[in-house]
Amino acid sequence: MILTGILRHYLSTLLSTVPKRDPLPKLRQNRHLQHVRNIIINHAQISRSAFTRRKEWFADEVKKGSLLAEGPAGKGQGKPNPLSDPAMMEGMMGMMKGQMAMMVPQSLIMGWINAFFSGYVIMKLPFPLTPRFKDMLQAGVGTQDLDVRWVSSLSWYFLTLFGLQPVYNFILGSNNAASQVAQQMQMQQQGNPMGGVEDMEKVFQGVSEDLEVVEHWFVLEGVEDRLLARLQGTTV
Amino acid sequence: MATNFLEGPTNTTPRQTLALSQNAKSFFTSQKGWSLPYPLSLFLNTESQEKWATYENIFLATLRTGDHDAAYLCLEELTDRFGKTNEHVVALQGIYQEATAKDTNELEEVMKRYDELLKDDPALFSVRKRRAALLKSVGRPVDAIGDLVSLVDASPTDAEAWAELADLYAQQGTYEQAIFCLEEVLLVTPNAWNMHARLAEVTYMSAQKMEGGEQLKALSESMRRFCRSIELCDDYLRGYLGLKITTGRLLTALDGAKKSQLTVSDPTTGDLAPPSLASVRKLNELATAKLGEIVRRGTAGEKGWDGYSAIELKAARDALDRDTLKIQR
Repeated sequence: MILTGILRHYLSTLLSTVPKRDPLPKLRQNRHLQHVRNIIINHAQISRSAFTRRKEWFADEVKKGSLLAEGPAGKGQGKPNPLSDPAMMEGMMGMMKGQMAMMVPQSLIMGWINAFFSGYVIMKLPFPLTPRFKDMLQAGVGTQDLDVRWVSSLSWYFLTLFGLQPVYNFILGSNNAASQVAQQMQMQQQGNPMGGVEDMEKVFQGVSEDLEVVEHWFVLEGVEDRLLARLQGTTV
Repeated sequence: MATNFLEGPTNTTPRQTLALSQNAKSFFTSQKGWSLPYPLSLFLNTESQEKWATYENIFLATLRTGDHDAAYLCLEELTDRFGKTNEHVVALQGIYQEATAKDTNELEEVMKRYDELLKDDPALFSVRKRRAALLKSVGRPVDAIGDLVSLVDASPTDAEAWAELADLYAQQGTYEQAIFCLEEVLLVTPNAWNMHARLAEVTYMSAQKMEGGEQLKALSESMRRFCRSIELCDDYLRGYLGLKITTGRLLTALDGAKKSQLTVSDPTTGDLAPPSLASVRKLNELATAKLGEIVRRGTAGEKGWDGYSAIELKAARDALDRDTLKIQR
């Protein structure tokens, strides 16, 4: 079982590809978006005049569209079709390939485990449980009336699989790919490749409106009184 | 071994750096160690982030102490592990070439190499930063500013670049731009007390050139920034020293100010009114008392008070001495 984990680790390191860096215009667009979000979150750090200046600058740039990856020319094109862009197609193919490559060993390992472990119970728990636990403890055993205290071997396999994480950490170092849990998390984070395409112009306009309605307050307002109150509180 | 291999190069004192580079040899031999034959070695993994962070730190430390051979060994290891095209490794190679360059011609060569790299991929931010740093170190600050301006245009969330740009602007004496850059840094890292203090210092420097109401405004803003940095970090020596100096200036400025300037709290521009005389005086007293305590305990090296740098302690003591002299007179 540990061997399967190690196998999975090395397979995934072999098959994984280095994520490609975005080209500069796209990077710039995303960073500017992040920048404006930073302004919205941390606006209290700067004075009102500094805040207003940034707000006006950003509204201006959005109107001109110069922050978009395509430059001002990219304004008003609407949402791009992901299938029409060859670079996008290539990226999606790469992702598909990666996922297929993940899928094949995964199903192999699963099939092997199924053939090996299914169909018999392996132990009896020393304490009674409610019938709800039947799904968890008796996977692969199709009997209705069996007492919940009996644990099927396939369930036992899954339980230990989740418990083996520290062992893998010990053998393979902390950022290994042996655990299934970590892998599923990763897949969720990657998200849907088709949903990733948005109309950036709309996004920028949305953020611009958010920025417009921010009610500004300044962290330095009354800071001397706060500090005085605190210092006198501690020294007296 | 008492040497901390993981301390970043910006935090180490010269003495620590020296110790680090002297321990480089023993670190190399410890890394060589035993390893299993091929199929079995797959079961053991000596990879860890700490290991490579240590390599990088030793690399920088040995360059600082002039041990170029050891630095080259580290660089080899890092290149073997991460590949020649890795963004970080490219920057480290650049550092090595800069450090071993013997004259300006060789530095020019390094610069040309950076230019070529950037022509291939303008998104290599590490190399762009190196290029700006190189320009700064060969005494071309205006070019470095140009580089950094284009960098922050491409990546406006890069606090490091903004801070560097602010430093360059402050050196050139263009305080308004420096203040803008520092505000950008604060937008990324809102609770960085050292950045609040730095902004306060630059604001104070810019206040030296102003007069009347403008100066009063800049001084009170600077004082409030120092207050904020102390609020974020107790016993912050730089903050208290700045607070003492700014409140001292403010006391004289407030005395001479006209009535109309004292109550201006413009709702449209949102500028805050200057602080009241009483609270400034109180802050000044508190800052003086606190500075005295920090200097006393810091020089004695009391437990928990020994983190202050000797230079800053001396500056604080000088400021306090000046004060007492004035009173004696």
